[in-house]
Amino acid sequence: MTALERLARTPIAALEFTNIVLTERDAPIGTTPKDPIWTHRTTTLWRYRSSERRHAVPIVLVFALINRPDIFDLRPGNSFVQFLLEEGFDVFLLDWGVPDDSDAELGLEHYVCDEIPWALREVLRASGGQEVSLLGWCIGGTLCLLHCALEPDSPARNLVALTTPIDTTGSLYTTWVARDSFDVDRVAEVYGAVPGRQVDWANKLMKPVTNYWTTYRRLWQQVLDGEARPDAYQAMARWVADNPPFPGRAYRDWITWMYKENALVRGTLRLRGRRAHLGAVEQNLLVVTAGADHIAPRAGTLPLLDAVASADVTHLDRPGGHIGLMAGSKARKEIWPDIAEWLTERSDP
Amino acid sequence: MADDRPTPEQELRRLYDDAETRMAKAAERVVGRESFGEVLAMLTENAVALTRIGYDAMDLVWSNLRIASKQDLLRLGRRLGRTEDKLELVLQEVERLRASTEARAAQDGDGAQPRSRRRAPQRSSST
Repeated sequence: MTALERLARTPIAALEFTNIVLTERDAPIGTTPKDPIWTHRTTTLWRYRSSERRHAVPIVLVFALINRPDIFDLRPGNSFVQFLLEEGFDVFLLDWGVPDDSDAELGLEHYVCDEIPWALREVLRASGGQEVSLLGWCIGGTLCLLHCALEPDSPARNLVALTTPIDTTGSLYTTWVARDSFDVDRVAEVYGAVPGRQVDWANKLMKPVTNYWTTYRRLWQQVLDGEARPDAYQAMARWVADNPPFPGRAYRDWITWMYKENALVRGTLRLRGRRAHLGAVEQNLLVVTAGADHIAPRAGTLPLLDAVASADVTHLDRPGGHIGLMAGSKARKEIWPDIAEWLTERSDP
Repeated sequence: MADDRPTPEQELRRLYDDAETRMAKAAERVVGRESFGEVLAMLTENAVALTRIGYDAMDLVWSNLRIASKQDLLRLGRRLGRTEDKLELVLQEVERLRASTEARAAQDGDGAQPRSRRRAPQRSSST
């Protein structure tokens, strides 16, 4: 395309660019058919419809508290859930919902000691099995690990931890929130539920130019070159912008224990009086790290490999970012098959 | 070969990309400094203080108008949440008792068929 042609195309490109950005909230995400199995407070346990269930051990997907779990089922053609269903798994999703200020008193213990075990109970009831595979992503991975560490009778046979923060020493979050001048108690008390927008703003601030400028500049370039893929951009942009509030007490627990005290890796984290010791985790464990992950850096996840008591530990390291690793255009070829293969080998009676 | 040389437009784009990459790295260095963390902590404190003032003022207005304030609604929401917790625990206990009753009946060989439409849990969790 010559410079003159590019100049001539600029007005229509501007219109298309504006249209893509303005209509991103209409993009369909999380469209794979599913049914609610159980609800409690804001939490819903979903089961995806499938007629091809071949493996005895169902998979329970657990996402973080700061974004919606639709990333597991981003869009048709790029859905991890769809991929797992095609591989013959019985797939459940533990959806934390959208908490509000009346949920401010819910701490991490609510999710780890109540919601996860109660949901697993319903999964067993619905699937008729005796064991499950837990697949947690980001904070969801940490919650699953805490559950396995605290519940010796957990029905979890397999545990997959995707880009999960474990040791926060030296992380950017630690630089920001571990200092005494960051009064997490006051933030939690005043907000009740910390607005999702603020958490998202902090996350984006970690890479300000990339998140606030490069994303849009790249889209503009793609539109100008006639190479834009509105469906892919809009699905991801809609998911990124959908930030549920973080219940105040859970926020305080997370910041204090993970960043101010680094309690998980030190073995000092206690929930309802019980010590959550990673050495008590005995499940078959798959740890997935992303080389360019700035939210849960690889170095902060690796200590998990030596901390657990599991006899079967596998580590997969791939290029990519915290989210792009699993939801990017290359995920279907580069990481999903490896995860499915690992699970398949451990999902039969 | 002359054909391999980048056009002025390509050269311009490359220079821009380099500049943007350098800018991104510089920005990441800035936000990674301790001093930036201190600024962020102060900004957060100010935002929290302003939010509290806003909430208090609005609550004062609503309560003077004899209209339920945010605090009233939150109290109600919390009570509903706790009631739901208790109901869930009661439900689990009922299911546990039903499962054990049915298991005992089956052991006694009275031929009683399970009446529950829901299957008994395979493994209960500690709560």
